[in-house]
Amino acid sequence: MSYYDIDAILTDAQKVPCTFEITIPGLGYLEGNSNIDIKQGTRVELPLWLAEMLGVSQRLGTEQNVISLDLPPALAPRVQNALKANPCTVDLRSLASHYYSLGERILGLLEEDELVDILSETFKKRAAEIADHAHNPQGVISSGGEFLKGLDENERQLFKTAHESAKAIRAFLSDRSSGKK
Amino acid sequence: MYGDLGLKLVQHAKRTQSLPQLPPYQSDIVRSVTREVRDLDRDVTEILEPFNGHFDPAEEPATACSLLVHHLCMRRNKRCLLAYHRVRVEAIEEMCWSGSDLLEQVQASQNKVAEGGAGIGSAEGSGASSLSPEEEEYARQYGDLLAAYKGQWTDIDLTGSLEPPRDLFIDVRVLKDAGEIQTEYGAITLTKNSQFFVRQGDVERLIAQGFLQKLN
Amino acid sequence: MNNNNHSASGPLTPAEVAFLCEAQSVTIIPRQRLDGLDLIGGYIPPFHPPQRTTIPLWLALLLKRQRRCNIVPPPWLSAPNIERILKTETENQNLFCPDLPYRWLETAELLLEGCPDDLGGDDGELRVLLRGLREVRQGKVREGLGKLEATYLQMNNLGLLEITEVRGFAKGVVDGLRKIGASTGVGLVLGWMMMISRWGWCFISMVFWTG
Repeated sequence: MSYYDIDAILTDAQKVPCTFEITIPGLGYLEGNSNIDIKQGTRVELPLWLAEMLGVSQRLGTEQNVISLDLPPALAPRVQNALKANPCTVDLRSLASHYYSLGERILGLLEEDELVDILSETFKKRAAEIADHAHNPQGVISSGGEFLKGLDENERQLFKTAHESAKAIRAFLSDRSSGKK
Repeated sequence: MYGDLGLKLVQHAKRTQSLPQLPPYQSDIVRSVTREVRDLDRDVTEILEPFNGHFDPAEEPATACSLLVHHLCMRRNKRCLLAYHRVRVEAIEEMCWSGSDLLEQVQASQNKVAEGGAGIGSAEGSGASSLSPEEEEYARQYGDLLAAYKGQWTDIDLTGSLEPPRDLFIDVRVLKDAGEIQTEYGAITLTKNSQFFVRQGDVERLIAQGFLQKLN
Repeated sequence: MNNNNHSASGPLTPAEVAFLCEAQSVTIIPRQRLDGLDLIGGYIPPFHPPQRTTIPLWLALLLKRQRRCNIVPPPWLSAPNIERILKTETENQNLFCPDLPYRWLETAELLLEGCPDDLGGDDGELRVLLRGLREVRQGKVREGLGKLEATYLQMNNLGLLEITEVRGFAKGVVDGLRKIGASTGVGLVLGWMMMISRWGWCFISMVFWTG
């Protein structure tokens, strides 16, 4: 993950639900009120770049946690169950534009062992589906529209890669075999 | 919230990556983000003022946390600003290498401005005036640097096509008058709608610039 | 942003694969005398028709176009042989036939394009067989990609052009799975930060002050 990587920065912007465990002066702007304190027990959604750093202290085990983190709705048990049941019917993009990256970051913060397996399985099954769509020029337009619209950014790149390499080879081969100049 | 404007810039950068031409430079957002950083820095100074340089985070955890958040916001903004500019700079360098007439466009936009500034508002999409003055300067200097670097080799074009040739000689049609060019086999005058059988290496640049079309 | 077709980095393009393929040697039957050529890639001895000689494919195709030679197709590129291989491939769903050379697909394409009349009569039949072969193998590749794991992928006897076709995708999947699997490891880094937390905010603030 590079400092300048646009997708990494966009991943960092995704929100996580947090609860403040202590009162902090002057941070009211985090919940939209400028210039007042943020009170203990306030629940706000913070972007990963902020939540991750404030959350570090949560795992310190000291008595003063700044915030505690929750699973973002995109990774809630309900969604996990849907992914287990049928990974290809879930619209990941509407849940989070960088879905897997979000998952990876959350896994670094919270103990969610089962989530690793669910995400891996989901990615594998959906990747196979993506490959089929990418190699079938008709499939893209007709059947796959709904599924392809729901791809997260990483999957979108994957589709693009597969689609373009298939197209390049097809163009090369047909160009050659019909290539009577 | 702090960082939202920076995010907007990065979203611009993300779109830029899939566009064929550079969209206009977002000077307003860039200015707002830098102002946000200055405001945050001023806040930090204010928070620290009463401590007279003897701030102990262990004694004031809440204040320390507030300071941390301020600094994270500044760092975030810095990262967004740098990433946005880098995406654009990379695009500019790419244009220099691929020989698209970036500088010509810049020139055109300057002419437009000289004609009475009417062009500024309609700059969108023309690709040229979408550069900030600093970016124009960068493009010019980078172009000079590249030309100087290329100049060391006379018999090889470093910015030439990387596509492996299928034939050394190709048929081309002239799309716009391109004047006279020198080849190993003498001079050719390229007038519109004429066709030639030429060495690919001699005309690659003209094809890239849209003067010639390769026939097959 | 990148509107060039070249690949300054990243996987090879089909055109690059074909270009590499043209460096292979091929046997020809010259139709004209030709003095030796001293090329960067090596010395080409003089031609004495009808004595066979071996030269790089790119030169063979160039001379063929100028009607200065005939190309002797490689032994594997014949309709009966391709038919046999196609049969093996169809009967063994878990196997890519080892009897094809690494650059089979691109070599066949170049020769079918450059010297169809040298391919032992019916180049139409050969084309059909090759297309069939490609489709059967493509099906297997796709099957294999569905079973990708984070650590490895094995497909023996796949040709270069075929690898080129799937490389980007396979790399993306393996990389994606690796990242998901490694994400619990990030906890370690944070754990490490935990250990030095005795210095508490002081440490963290300092890092960001200077960073």
